[in-house]
Amino acid sequence: MTSALDSRNAGHTGPPADPGSTRPTRILVVDDHPAVRWGLVQLLEDQRDLEVALVATTAEAAVGQAEGDTIDVAVVDYQLGGRNGLWATRKLRALPAPPRVVIFSAFADHLAANCVVAGAHALLGKSSLGEELCSTIRAVAHGRVLIPRVPSAMVRLLRGRLDQQEQITFGMLLAGIPETEIQRALGVSAEQLMRRRAGILSKLEALPGEAPGDEGNERRERAVSSYPGVERC
Amino acid sequence: MGDQADHHPYTRSRDARPEAGGGRRGYVPLFGRILLGNLAVLLVACFVIYVVVTPARLSKLATDEALVVTLCLVTLVNLVLVRRVVVPLQQLTLFARRVDPAEPGTRFPGAGERSEAGELALTFNEMLERLEHERAESARSVLAAHEGERLRVAQELHDEVGQTLTAVLLQLSRVHGRLDGELGPVLGEAQDAVRESLEDVRRIATELRPETLAELGLVSALATLSENFSRRTGILVEQDLQTDLPALSEETELAVYRVAQEALTNVARHAESDRTELHLLDGAAQLTLVVRDYGRGLPGSRVDGNGIRGMRERAGAIGGRVWVGAPPEGPGSEVRLEVPLRR
Repeated sequence: MTSALDSRNAGHTGPPADPGSTRPTRILVVDDHPAVRWGLVQLLEDQRDLEVALVATTAEAAVGQAEGDTIDVAVVDYQLGGRNGLWATRKLRALPAPPRVVIFSAFADHLAANCVVAGAHALLGKSSLGEELCSTIRAVAHGRVLIPRVPSAMVRLLRGRLDQQEQITFGMLLAGIPETEIQRALGVSAEQLMRRRAGILSKLEALPGEAPGDEGNERRERAVSSYPGVERC
Repeated sequence: MGDQADHHPYTRSRDARPEAGGGRRGYVPLFGRILLGNLAVLLVACFVIYVVVTPARLSKLATDEALVVTLCLVTLVNLVLVRRVVVPLQQLTLFARRVDPAEPGTRFPGAGERSEAGELALTFNEMLERLEHERAESARSVLAAHEGERLRVAQELHDEVGQTLTAVLLQLSRVHGRLDGELGPVLGEAQDAVRESLEDVRRIATELRPETLAELGLVSALATLSENFSRRTGILVEQDLQTDLPALSEETELAVYRVAQEALTNVARHAESDRTELHLLDGAAQLTLVVRDYGRGLPGSRVDGNGIRGMRERAGAIGGRVWVGAPPEGPGSEVRLEVPLRR
């Protein structure tokens, strides 16, 4: 996995922790499964340089809690009940003091592009949780970006779902161009870029993890109800 | 199941052809034809004997001759009339013997002729239609139940087993960080085992319910399927996937995906081939999937196994067809799925 990681240092704005300081990295843990959440907290608490500041079980709660606090790194499960980890990532990155974000998922293979667009800094498979998670948090806190390179065939496929403006933004984001430069090059404000990212993400995600009851949820329902015998519980 | 009465095949076909069972045949029935034929011959014979050949010249010999000729004529007329009905009936019998439920769509060609045999053939074809419709419907509902169950198992695997394993992995990592000395490697092995299990859970869940199909569409899902297959079995898959497909229904995408999955599984199990080809072609009126291997081919006398029957059912449920056999040239075997496209 490590060999496939693509490091892009300049990719995102955000305050990298000062390597000289002795202050531990403050972490927000977001996972809906109690045992995993507990395991994550225990593992991270054991690290001398890491400190679990907040724990949340849903995407909404995570954003609400992070608003009133200063978080360095958020560790977010992709699959949460309700809105997903990418939604949380977008909202966290829009905060006045945005934390850097590590996403983990059982199905990490095809999430890389979505993670880049949502503004995450690292993507891990679930089998990498452990020492690799700790080292990833440290690397991300020091300003690195660790998201696997998106295969070109996948990029082509995903680009087909976007309009021309979005394709340009998408390409720039994938290339790791810093947000400020993208804003300057396209002549858009930070807020406009944020909206465009959200627009791209909703097109990339076939089953978007947006709000229950919105379009995303309808599409999820439809995906299931196309098998007449299936009822979603 | 409540809406089944609305499109019941029996009601539908009766509505579609009201004249079929209504008694308006449009031809003289066989009984009438034979009666009329015999009557005509007898009348002509009588006319010849009693009017043309006058009774005065009637000798014993001439009466006998006329009788023999008339009887011969009557037999001939009966023969011709009955033959015209019996021959198509024999053909229909032969056809009925050959009908293969696995190859739907074949119909008796002589249907619709204005005769008893034609009407029987028409009814027979209608019955085939109903049976095939019924068969496809029941296959669809079985497959839907099947897919629902797979979805449930995949979700449960991911939500329960996967999460628990993740938690265990985190615990082991934590202990590993505190441990020093000779127990370190032992714990490392345990961690590796849990990681492998997590990967297995992920793989099995993906096979049960391909995430990529819903998220990225058929072509990506087939590409992912072949890559995972190559990684697991060491068999090279040459992909030739046409990307600009028309919009397909989710049922069709899933059926094509499952046929490809089953065909690849068969290659790994039986073909003894180190190379496979996976083609997806978008023709004018149909979508074609071909999975071809270069192995030992199919044994000569082969009864369709569960896998092939499953593929046929998948195809039948979306109105498509599957052929399994030798490729047009070269060694190995080929599975070909054709799905008609409605544009």
